[in-house]
Amino acid sequence: MTAPTATKQRKPVVLLRPVPGDSVIHRLWAGTKLIVVAGIGVMLTFYPGWVPIALVAALIMTTAWLAHIPRSALPSIPRWLWIVLFIGGATATFAGGGPVIDLGSVEVGLGGLVTFLRITAVSIVLLGLGALVSWTTNVAEIAPAVATLGRPLRPLRIPVDDWAVTLALALRAFPMLIDEFRVLYAARRLRPKQVPTTRRARRRRWAIEIVDIISAGITVALRRADEMGDAITARGGAGQISAAPSRPRRADWVALSISILLCAVAVTLELTVLGTL
Amino acid sequence: MTVTEASAPRRVGSLQPVELAQASVMAALCAATAIIAVVVPFAAGVSLLGTVPMGLLAYRYRLRVLIAATVAGAVIAFLIAGMGGFMTVVNCAYIGGLTGIVKRRGRGLPTVFGAALVAGALFGGATVAALAILTRLRHLLFESVTANINGLAAVIARIPDMEPFAERLKHDFATMLDYWPYLFFCSSVLSIVMVTFIGWWALSRVMRRLLGVPDVHKLQSSTDTGQIAPVPARLHDVRFRYPKADHDALGPVSLNVELGEHLAVTGANGSGKTTLMLMLAGREPTSGTIDRPGAVGLGELGGTAVIMQHPESQVLGTRVADDVVWGLPPGKTTDVHQLLTEVGLDGLAERDTGGLSGGELQRLAVAAALAREPSLLIADEVTSMVDQDGRDSLMSVLSGLTQHHRMSLVHITHYNDEADAADRAIKLTGNGGAADNTEMVATAAAPAATVPMGHHSDEPVLELKGVGHEYASGTPWATTALRDINFAVHEGDGVLIHGLNGSGKSTLAWIMAGLTVPTAGSCLLDGAPVSDQVGGVAISFQAARLQLMRSRVDLEVASAAGFSVRDHGRVVEALATVGLDHGLANRRIDQLSGGQMRRVVLAGLLARSPRVLILDEPLAGLDAASQRGLLRLLVDLRRRADLTVVVISHDFSGLEELCPRILHLHDGALTAPTVAGGMS
Repeated sequence: MTAPTATKQRKPVVLLRPVPGDSVIHRLWAGTKLIVVAGIGVMLTFYPGWVPIALVAALIMTTAWLAHIPRSALPSIPRWLWIVLFIGGATATFAGGGPVIDLGSVEVGLGGLVTFLRITAVSIVLLGLGALVSWTTNVAEIAPAVATLGRPLRPLRIPVDDWAVTLALALRAFPMLIDEFRVLYAARRLRPKQVPTTRRARRRRWAIEIVDIISAGITVALRRADEMGDAITARGGAGQISAAPSRPRRADWVALSISILLCAVAVTLELTVLGTL
Repeated sequence: MTVTEASAPRRVGSLQPVELAQASVMAALCAATAIIAVVVPFAAGVSLLGTVPMGLLAYRYRLRVLIAATVAGAVIAFLIAGMGGFMTVVNCAYIGGLTGIVKRRGRGLPTVFGAALVAGALFGGATVAALAILTRLRHLLFESVTANINGLAAVIARIPDMEPFAERLKHDFATMLDYWPYLFFCSSVLSIVMVTFIGWWALSRVMRRLLGVPDVHKLQSSTDTGQIAPVPARLHDVRFRYPKADHDALGPVSLNVELGEHLAVTGANGSGKTTLMLMLAGREPTSGTIDRPGAVGLGELGGTAVIMQHPESQVLGTRVADDVVWGLPPGKTTDVHQLLTEVGLDGLAERDTGGLSGGELQRLAVAAALAREPSLLIADEVTSMVDQDGRDSLMSVLSGLTQHHRMSLVHITHYNDEADAADRAIKLTGNGGAADNTEMVATAAAPAATVPMGHHSDEPVLELKGVGHEYASGTPWATTALRDINFAVHEGDGVLIHGLNGSGKSTLAWIMAGLTVPTAGSCLLDGAPVSDQVGGVAISFQAARLQLMRSRVDLEVASAAGFSVRDHGRVVEALATVGLDHGLANRRIDQLSGGQMRRVVLAGLLARSPRVLILDEPLAGLDAASQRGLLRLLVDLRRRADLTVVVISHDFSGLEELCPRILHLHDGALTAPTVAGGMS
């Protein structure tokens, strides 16, 4: 589905839809991708140093290349984000601190800027990982993978199967709800704007507006849920959610080993020779 | 059970069908708000709204439902918006769950405040503990913010007389960070308490509004145990009355469903056809008896299967093959391809269900029903929301079923020709019909003409020049929805834009209303781009409920038309234009029938004298009587008020008089236009 765009001709963010085509990465089990993303996410929150960032960035580039993801898949970066980044970078540069470089007569301390760049890099790398999963995974494979991944939790009486079914149904309902929100938003745009005169009236108007919007959204959702409830009842309750088996294959073990190796190397380097303090 | 009653019996064990459906839809809703909050700039406040669905869930169902919804919503938000989305959903569930549970227990503000303090303290404690463990991340975060603050201070210090202030800023910030555990703890408590109060307020207001929302959930899981054998079924003097209703919805009815027969049930709206389906599917009648050799076994292997009216909402899988097996007991193997071939969907197993047409979805529902090898299959008005092609192919699938399978087929329909295919037909007579539709038989008073009659200028009102539209332009997902569309709509025209699912007709409607800017060409209203004059072209969407935002009819009409709420006279006048009685002005929106909703939308739109009125599938989902009434009204409006009408539809039936001019849209392009009759 496509997020609404403010201006025309800008490349939109396309979500939960794989890039058309088939590749090694497309064929990987969805569970593998979820494990790798979660694992690397955890590593980066513990060790957000330059070495782990660089290694993960390299992994992302390689995967994107293997998956034949064209550069055009990237959404356009809105101008406000550039401005925010520029202001952030500028103020951080003014803070100075080592290392220092000489630019003719001016000495510039890059310490602040480097810190700022590092945190920006961490965010970009994390976003890139998530994007890769969404660009190479069919939505239908996610819930069965979660069910398989959660199997070890079953003996602890954690209702993993309920969660997987709920997730599958939520993913099914999600695009329908998004479409309904689009209509809701369009219907609002079509209405005449009423300009309240006093500030109090404006505040009241605002509150009424919010309650109206939520009520409309919830009413629609409730109706959808009622119908879905009937449909589930007609199928005799929950059971199978996928026609194809969902389990790792050989390629998945390879991918997992590579990721574990990468994390181990990153952490080792970070803790020994190439650490970022 | 209505929306605002907490369901009384607390169940244990796995989630029930209703709980699953509610959890997943609310999870999707919460995930959607969380994603908007994270992805759209300056929309973080939207995340507060995500507490309402979760609150409602916690109020109506047990904790297990809330947790399942949290997991599902958090995974979706994580997949789309990363960690930020994940945390937003978890927070919404945390706070929404809190308010919902307090509300269920019937407690008030003091309890909410206390609970929020405790919850805030727990959350703050967890945050501090996490940051204490993640030393490197903490240092990075703190250093980065410190660098920004110090840089800012350095800039400020350059301004004359501001140096002390800059020093102060630097110093105070450093001190604050020294005490970071207190800082994070206190701000957690404060923000959780604040958000809880906002969530509580919103939940209370919304719940008051939802009081009148009718519960359309009707099927019940079968409770009878033992050998499954739903046929032959013998109904004797069966009557049914819905709880709190004042008349019987069905009966008395006596009929038999024999082994292996194809039985058609016909009858007018309100004769109780759907209620009969519920009886056959296992719901207990109010009086009378139903004899069966064994249990009903709704949805179970060898039991009863039901196919319902709405194509979209009974599909549960995101992939065609997954939907066929959805809900089958674990371990049961199914020949998906053979089933899909039988219903004519061979080769589509890997397709997304989202891209199927109405007819294809209904045939998929037949395949899913057949996967259960049912002894009794009930098809309840399955063709009523499908176009003619879809109807024909669906009927050919249905009529062959009893020959190829050992089962009985009960086909409920309001089309007589469909009943002819059956071995035997039964006509339900009902008892007076639904009062809802009789009160809105066309009594439309002619509205005052908004444009002088007979003045047909040559200048078109709406003109499309080389319009093309591509979604997701420039990305690998780019899809062309429309190409090179040229036509003009003149004053007083009635145009039908006909096309099947996926032909791009909805996109065209949005472009004509100015809601979408086409990627190529231009759409002009009175010579200027229509996208600069949103509101000049009125559009009535297929889902009328989405267009009704206020709680009551008079508030809604006033808001949509731009009247003052107190201007009762104009509201009544607007309602009269669409043939609605003034007594309806105080009715709550959720108590209106489908046809009435559509008319209320029209009342609001017409009161602004739009240049053009676009109707997207105006007849979909309405029963035959409402369809006739609405058509009569629209024809009248076009004739007498010289209204310019554009109808977007997949069906022709009955639209000839309203739309003498027909444009065919096929795969995003217009094919040869036809004129069905002379211009009025």
